[in-house]
Amino acid sequence: MILLQLIYSGIALGMIYAVIAFGYQLTFATSGTLNFGQGDALMLGALVGLTLVSAGVNYWLMIPLVCLFGLVQGAFVERIGVRPAIKIKSEFGWIMSTIALGIIFKNVAENVWGRDDLRFPSPLPEAPLKVFGANVLPMELLVVGGALVMMLAVEFFNRKTIFGKAVVATANDRDAASLMGINTGLVITFSYALSSLTAAFAGVLIAPLTLTGATMGAVLGLKAFAVAIIGGLSSGMGIIVGGMILGIAETTTGFYISTGYKDVPGLVLLLIVLAVKPAGLFGKMAIKKV
Amino acid sequence: MKAKNWIAALAGLAALAIFPVVSGNPYYIHLVETIMIYAILLFGLDIVVGYTGQVSLGHAGLFGVGAYTAGVLFMKLGMPFYVTAPLSILVTAGFGAILALPALRVSGPYLAMVTLAFGTIIQILINEMDFLTNGPMGLKIPKPMFAGHRLDEVQYYWLVAALLVVSLIVVHRVLKSHLGRAFEALRDSPIASDCMGVSVYRYKVYAFVISAGFAGLAGCLYSYSEQYISPNTYNFELTILFLLAIIMGGRKTRTGAIIGSTVIVMLPKLLDDIATFRVVATALAVIVVAGAVLALARRTTTPQRVAVPIIGTAGLAVFSFWIEALTDWRLTIFGLMILLVVYYLQDGIVGFVRKTLNLGRVRVTKVDTDALATDTREDDAVSAVGTHGTDAILDVRGVLMQFSGLKALNDVDLTVKRGTIHGLIGPNGSGKSTMMNVLTGIYVPTAGAIEYEGQSLAGRTSSKIALSGIARTFQNVQLFGEMTALENVLVGLHHTFRSNFADVGVMSPRYRREERAARERAFNMLRFVGLENVAAEEARNLPYGKQRLLEIARALALDPQLLLLDEPAAGLTAPDIRELVAIIRKVRNHGITLVLIEHHMDVVMSVCDTVSVLDFGQKIAEGKPSEIQANEKVIEAYLGGQAAQVA
Repeated sequence: MILLQLIYSGIALGMIYAVIAFGYQLTFATSGTLNFGQGDALMLGALVGLTLVSAGVNYWLMIPLVCLFGLVQGAFVERIGVRPAIKIKSEFGWIMSTIALGIIFKNVAENVWGRDDLRFPSPLPEAPLKVFGANVLPMELLVVGGALVMMLAVEFFNRKTIFGKAVVATANDRDAASLMGINTGLVITFSYALSSLTAAFAGVLIAPLTLTGATMGAVLGLKAFAVAIIGGLSSGMGIIVGGMILGIAETTTGFYISTGYKDVPGLVLLLIVLAVKPAGLFGKMAIKKV
Repeated sequence: MKAKNWIAALAGLAALAIFPVVSGNPYYIHLVETIMIYAILLFGLDIVVGYTGQVSLGHAGLFGVGAYTAGVLFMKLGMPFYVTAPLSILVTAGFGAILALPALRVSGPYLAMVTLAFGTIIQILINEMDFLTNGPMGLKIPKPMFAGHRLDEVQYYWLVAALLVVSLIVVHRVLKSHLGRAFEALRDSPIASDCMGVSVYRYKVYAFVISAGFAGLAGCLYSYSEQYISPNTYNFELTILFLLAIIMGGRKTRTGAIIGSTVIVMLPKLLDDIATFRVVATALAVIVVAGAVLALARRTTTPQRVAVPIIGTAGLAVFSFWIEALTDWRLTIFGLMILLVVYYLQDGIVGFVRKTLNLGRVRVTKVDTDALATDTREDDAVSAVGTHGTDAILDVRGVLMQFSGLKALNDVDLTVKRGTIHGLIGPNGSGKSTMMNVLTGIYVPTAGAIEYEGQSLAGRTSSKIALSGIARTFQNVQLFGEMTALENVLVGLHHTFRSNFADVGVMSPRYRREERAARERAFNMLRFVGLENVAAEEARNLPYGKQRLLEIARALALDPQLLLLDEPAAGLTAPDIRELVAIIRKVRNHGITLVLIEHHMDVVMSVCDTVSVLDFGQKIAEGKPSEIQANEKVIEAYLGGQAAQVA
């Protein structure tokens, strides 16, 4: 029973990783870059959400506001950190600048919200439900459902709307899309905005289950990257499976070995997957052109 | 080294040595000691970041491994310094190798994340393995003992200073050697490195191992210097500081590493004192504004470009007066500094100073040209290959190269006879370059066999194939842009070196001999293609035609049996093409077999002995140039089918 319970919370955790990993995929597709401060976008989302809730805003009403905040924050990261690097074609540049922005966000959050972890009030009853004999928190169900809805919504947007087609076109071939009159710069900004939106959304989903604080983002972001790699940076299905593998590995390690070691399996898995199959379990290997 | 440099170096050393005596203040002595320790680590980090161009976020972890190796060995086994220091280096180098293994096939952001994951794991392990590391409580270590005498603060300072100088010399030698060239080459063009027999994977691992070794030494020295180590020191923040130090000081310079380390040690001290910080921030804003005004007056920049740094520094100055305590905002300030450096000070402080003082990077090309001019015949740089008989040197049978649905090569046979020039032509997209990539191991064919010198190439890596004597040039030039023409050729001559790390470190006679021989040959190689006058020029600054010739010289440096030229005449002017044809003939006269992909039919028809024609991945014709010119299938492939003829 305990194992089943660990699997349930592992799945909920895994879906959060999947949503953050999804955010990595969005920016990687359009610009070939990643936001190393993705975890901090999540943290900011959660803290802004907490402030809104404390100010008396309803949890459900707060979500769209936090999403809006995520959009702005992502666009800011892209404009300040990523765009200049893309312009000078410097990989080193965007890696360093997104890291720098990440630590700035973290530090600002520490100064605004303090260094202590805060409790995020749960919008749903905290009495667990029984599913096949094991306890499930209603919040965990919300996390799984919310994560799936989020990813499906973005997929729907990309496939069915004309602006989404511009995103897909930019993802396939940035130069060709640009020649077809698509403002690829704007598309990349938008993909960052969308990516931070998903992260901020993930933040307010996970916050009631864990504690909220300035340091919550860094490790989450890193483990979500592991998920993005395990699943493959181009596979939607991959990140969900990858997220669940990692989430379950983490909760079981935390219970059976020691909570101190709970971050280790994900990171080791990341190292192994990159050493053996860098394209991920579900990804396709790109053909290098010489 | 010039006399001026010697004097400067000696003066610096003397100042370093007498500083503790003159100063007498333990606080400052300790501060300078820390700067030196970080500088040792930064020398190593620069190998990875500056030379191989990879971002490592794991160096704080490696630093921790070094510190804890020393700490644990002392705590558990009571080992003396002269045992713990070498072991720290070895153990950390071993961790560097483990870290580099997943790096086997990844680079850029992936590698950055891998190293970040590694650093995080190390910190978790140090924290959790309290039976070994005493966990969050940390370890206490006294200053090292030598022959029953415990070093005091000043004596330990001298020890660190001595090791700093040794590290500096070793790093400098390694980076100027063939190893350093290999590191730089794999950053500029990994594919070209592999095709020059310099295995990207192997040298990436080397770079990490050497770099980790220095981190280990620094960690060990740090633990004795602080006399107390705890897990929280070796965190993400420290990694970021190290990277900031490297890019701020200036990549690829030792001075930069020392400046960077001074900055990151002094900065937090500076930030402790808000009054000083306000002065510094204001001064910085004034300098930037003045610089911008000057640049605008000279019209070297536009108002838009200077807007951001001006706003940034002015904002920092205002910010400094707004806040009361600075320590809480440390990370923000580091973050802002990284942003500023990444975009406005890309070559670091050293690069900036060099640029403003107009000290262009003068690379020493130690070749005694006078001596060479007298005793060298023009040709002996390129080693001749015996042409015994007219057997096939290369035999390709039924090669299929499939990219999901597309068959880029479909059941192609190709036999190249020894000592000939074999043309490979066909319309665009017919599979010529794919053939080159299959032959050099960049693509692994879906089916079919390739025999070179009677041996199968299946399963061999690009660098092994290159070392067995197949050299190539690239359709889109793949030179090592930041290296000089001479150094590009020297990378091709990498296979002539037998010296290892130790040889280079101590400048053994073997290494000196090899380096001198290689430089002479490289220079003659450049002369062979007519580039001896631009030997010291950076490859990226050469005109296009010369870049193509340089690629040929670099390929010849491999001492190939078989040379593959991929569109060498593309984009060349008519006189350049004549020169190229002469060079191709000269190469053939050395007995080297050539395969030539080319669109200039006059070139193909005038130099080739045999020509094969590809179309849509299939070989449609083969024969003497004159036969090919008359072949109807070939004419059809190039000019279109019957419909075209009717029209």
